[in-house]
Amino acid sequence: MHRLLARQIRQSTDESGQVDLIKLGELVSAAYEEGDRDRRRTDRAIKLMIEELELTHKRAEQDLRRAREFLDSIIENIPIAVFAKDAKDSRYVLLNRAGEEYYGMPREAMLGKTPQQIFPDHIARVVNEQDRRVVDSGTPMFLEGHLLEIGVKGHDRLVNSRKLLVRDGSGAPQYLVGVIEDVTERITNEARISHLAHHDALTDLPNRSAFNAALGERLERAQEAATSFAVLSLDLDRFKEVNDVFGHPVGDMLMRAAADRLAAEADGAFVARIGGDEFMILMPDGIRHEDVLALAERLVETIGNELKVDDYLPHVGLSVGVAFYPDDGVNAVTLLANADSALYRAKREGRGRVRVFESEMDQELRDRRLLQHDLRQALELNQFLVYFQPQARVDGEVIGFEALLRWNHPTRGFVPPDQFIPLAEENGLIVEIGEWVLREACREAASWPRPLQVAVNLSPVQFQAGDLERSIHQILLETGLTPTRLEVEITEGVLIGDFTRALNLLRRLKALGIRIAMDDFGTGYSSLSYLQSFPFDKIKIDRSFISNLEATPQSAEIVRAVLSLAHALNIPVIAEGVETEAQRAFLAREACEEMQGYLVGRPDLIERYLHLVGVTVERRLYA
Amino acid sequence: MHIQYIHWNAAHGWRGADALREPAQLVLYFGSREQLADGERYRDLRGLYPESHIIGCSTGGQIHGDDICDDEVIAVALRFAHTQVRLVQEVVEARDASRACGARLAHQAQAADLAGLFVLSDGLAVNGGELLAGITEVLGPDLPVTGGLAGDGTRFEQTIVGADAEPSPNRVAAIAFYGASFRFAHGCAGGWDVFGPRRKVTKSEGSVLVELDGEPPLDLYTRYLGAEEAEAMPGSGLAFPLRIHDEAEPDRQIVRSVFAVDRSARTLTFAADIPEGCTAQLMRANFDSLAAGAGEAGRQARSALAEVVAGDKLAILVSCTGRRRVMGQRTQDELDAVAAELGEDFVRIGFYSYGEIAPPAASGRCELHNQTMTVTVIAEAVA
Repeated sequence: MHRLLARQIRQSTDESGQVDLIKLGELVSAAYEEGDRDRRRTDRAIKLMIEELELTHKRAEQDLRRAREFLDSIIENIPIAVFAKDAKDSRYVLLNRAGEEYYGMPREAMLGKTPQQIFPDHIARVVNEQDRRVVDSGTPMFLEGHLLEIGVKGHDRLVNSRKLLVRDGSGAPQYLVGVIEDVTERITNEARISHLAHHDALTDLPNRSAFNAALGERLERAQEAATSFAVLSLDLDRFKEVNDVFGHPVGDMLMRAAADRLAAEADGAFVARIGGDEFMILMPDGIRHEDVLALAERLVETIGNELKVDDYLPHVGLSVGVAFYPDDGVNAVTLLANADSALYRAKREGRGRVRVFESEMDQELRDRRLLQHDLRQALELNQFLVYFQPQARVDGEVIGFEALLRWNHPTRGFVPPDQFIPLAEENGLIVEIGEWVLREACREAASWPRPLQVAVNLSPVQFQAGDLERSIHQILLETGLTPTRLEVEITEGVLIGDFTRALNLLRRLKALGIRIAMDDFGTGYSSLSYLQSFPFDKIKIDRSFISNLEATPQSAEIVRAVLSLAHALNIPVIAEGVETEAQRAFLAREACEEMQGYLVGRPDLIERYLHLVGVTVERRLYA
Repeated sequence: MHIQYIHWNAAHGWRGADALREPAQLVLYFGSREQLADGERYRDLRGLYPESHIIGCSTGGQIHGDDICDDEVIAVALRFAHTQVRLVQEVVEARDASRACGARLAHQAQAADLAGLFVLSDGLAVNGGELLAGITEVLGPDLPVTGGLAGDGTRFEQTIVGADAEPSPNRVAAIAFYGASFRFAHGCAGGWDVFGPRRKVTKSEGSVLVELDGEPPLDLYTRYLGAEEAEAMPGSGLAFPLRIHDEAEPDRQIVRSVFAVDRSARTLTFAADIPEGCTAQLMRANFDSLAAGAGEAGRQARSALAEVVAGDKLAILVSCTGRRRVMGQRTQDELDAVAAELGEDFVRIGFYSYGEIAPPAASGRCELHNQTMTVTVIAEAVA
C-alpha cells in the first residue's frame, strides 16, 4: 500500500477503529488534486523552460554570429596576410584580403587546395615542411625579416611570418593559422634611423657618437691584443670665413668636398665628422708613427689644395693633432683630449700643420680651459676694470685717453690682455665685454669737465656679431657723451672677412660723428687699399716701430714713410709706445701729430689723471 | 535535561504526560496566529509554569513527532540540569532597523559562557538577513545561532512572537543558553534543484526585486504559475524559489522565496536582500527531493551531536511554509525522513516558518534561509 494511502487511512480511522470513508475519500481526492497540480505546474515549467532555453539559444547563436562577423571583418581588413589551413593536409580554409594581395591570387584559387596544387614544387615543399614541423611539434614557428619566397609584391620584400597550431576540443591538431606581415618599410626605416643616428647628415660620415663607439671598441681590442693605434683630431682652418664670405650653401658644399677628400685619402681609417669644422680619424691598428704622420701631412696637403666649389674657389686649410694609443692615453677621454691639445698647438703655431701630442701641451690646454671658465664669470663678478692712458700732442698737451680693458683675477692677479682677449673672441664673450668697456669709457668721459677724446678698441668679432651700431648709439644716448668725442680703434682684422659689411658699418658709425682710427698700422698686411676705401680719422703707428727707433734704422724709415703717406692722404697720425724724450723729439721732427706712451702716462685708473680731465681731487672725493 | 510535551486543542484544552519532577526553566510553544493572538494560550501556560521563561510564535503549521497539525497548539517544557537560560527580546521599529535590532538583541545575550542562541523573529516586519548580520556582528561568527521567522499560514498578513508576555507583532526574541554542559547541534538542507536559464538581477531595491533580465519579476512568476495560480501569490510563488548567485561570494548558496507582491509595480519582495547584478535562477522540487533534503538536515544535526548525552534530547524542526505548500499531504514524508535520520530517541517539535535560521553546512556562518528544513538539537552533556 502506498505510504500516503496508509497515512490517509490512519487519519480517517477514529479511536474505535472505524474508517470514515467520506473523510478518506476527501483526503484521497485532495491528494489526486495535489498530484495533478504538481504535474501541471511541472509540465508548464518544462514547456516554458524549453521555450526560454530555445530563445536563449537563439540569442546566443545570434551573439555568436555577430561576434564572428565582427572578427571576420577585422581579419578581412587588417593589412596583414592571415590564412588558416587544415592541420591534416595543409588545405587552405581561410584567406583574407591582404593574403590575396600577398599571394597574388584570389582566395577562390586557394581555398580548398593544398600547397602542391597552388605553388611551384620547390615552394610547396618548403611550405609543407614548415607546416609539418609546426603540427608535429605543436610549437609555433616565427620567422623574422626573411625574404618573401612567393607572391607578386616583389622578391625584395621582407616579411615576418608566423604559424601556429590550433587544436580541437579533444586536443587533436585542427588548424594551422598563419600571419604574414610585410615589414620592408619598417626595416628600411629602422636602418635609415639607425644610419641617421650614427652619421652626420651633411657629409654622411660617421658622427660623434659613432666615433665614440668605434673608439671604445678599438680601445677594448687594443687592450686585449696589446696593439697600438693613432687618433687624429682635425680642424678646417678658415672654414668660418668661407661661410661668412660665400654663405652657408657654399660652406656646405665645401664641407662635403673636404669630407670626401679626407675619406678618400684616409682610406681604411675610420673618418668621422664630430661637429662644425671638426673631424676625427681613427687609424687602423699597428700603423707606424711615420706612416701616421705621412698620412696626416698628405691630408693637410690635399685640403690645402684649392677646393673648387660651384664657381667659387674658397681657400681653406687643415690643422691636425695626433695622439697615439697607448703612449698618449689609454682611455678615450685622455686620448681625445690629447689629440685636441696637439690640434690646438698646430692651430696656434700658424695652422695648416700637423702636431703630435707632447705632454706639456696637456697642461697648456688645461690652463686655457680653466682661464676660459674664469673668464665667463669675470664680468658678473666685477673683475674687469677700465684703465685710461693719456694721448697727447707731440708738444705734450693731453688731448684724450685710450680706454684699456684690464682683468684683475682674484688669484691670478692681472691677466695679460693678450692672453684673455683672444679667448674672449673665441667664445664670443668679447661682444658683451666690449660693450661693457664702451659703456664704462663713455660714462667716464661724459663726466669729465674738459671735453677730451676717449678712444675705445673694437674687436673684429664685435663687427661680425650683434648690432654694433645700435649698441654704440644706445650707449651714447645713455651716457650723454657727444659722439665726436668718441674714437673707435679698429685693426685690419675688422676688414678681413666680410669687407663690404664692415665698411658699411664704419661708414654709419662715422655718420654718427664717431671718429674711426686704424690701429696697429704697419703690422699685418697693412693693405693700403684699406686707406683708400675708407676715410680714417687717424692712423696709429704700432709700438714696435717706435721702441725700435733708436735700435734699427729701418724702423725710423718705416715711421717716416707711414707719416708721409698719411700726410699725403691728410690723415693725422698717433705714435704708440713713446717712452723717451728722444723718441718724442724724433716724432716732433717728422711732424707726427700725436703720441701715446709712458712718456705721457701709463695706463691707470682715471683717478690718477683727474687733474688732466679737469676734476679737482677735492671735488671728486666729496661730490 | 528533561522534557515534558503538552498540547492544546479547542475540544480538550491543554493535555500532556510525563510531568516534570522539578519546575521547568523554559517553555517553548507554537501555534497558528488565530490560536495565539488573543494571549489566552500564553496566560494558560503562565498559569501552568509560573516560574518558567515562556517563548513562542505563530506558524504555518505545528510539528509534533511525525505529525503536522494546524488546529493544535504544541509546547515543550524543559528542565535543565546545568544549563542556564535567559530570554532576550527587542522590538523592530522598521524593516531597515533590523540590523541594529539584531545587534541590540545580541548585546543583551552576550556573556562569556553563552553557548547558543535560538531566535524567534517576526516573519514579515523584519529583514531576516540584516537581523542576523547584526547578531553575528556582536557575537562573532563562531557562536551557533539557529531559529526561525514566525509564520502566518499562507496568508502573509501578520506574524507574532511572545517572550514572557502575550505574543505580538514586530517582536524579535531569543533563548540564550549558557554553560559548558549545554549541547547545541544543527543541520540545514533544502532539496531544491535549479532549472531554466540564469537570469540577471537588473534592478533591485534591498529585498524588493524590481527587474529580472529587464522584466518585472511578477510577469515571470505569472508565466510559470499560470494565471490561476498566480492569483494566489505570494503563497503560490513558494513553489518557485530563486537561487541567488553573487559573483562577490561565489561559494554562498542562497535560496530566497517570495513573501510579498506588489501587483501594481509588478515587483516581488523577498525575505532578505537580492543584490543588483547577481544572477538568479528558478528552483523547483518534487516530493521525494524535498523529503531527501529534510533527511539530510536530520543527518547533519545527528552527526553533529556525536557524544553521549544525559537525559532527554530535543529536536526543533523549523521548515519552510513553501515546502509544506508544495508537498501538501506528502509533507509528512519530510518529517519521516528527519525522524529516520535522527532516530527515535529525540523529542521532535517544530513549525513551518517564513524563514529558517541556521549556519549552512558549507560556510558555518549563521544565515537566513528559505525553503529549507533546519533541525536544531538541544541536549546536555553527561556531567
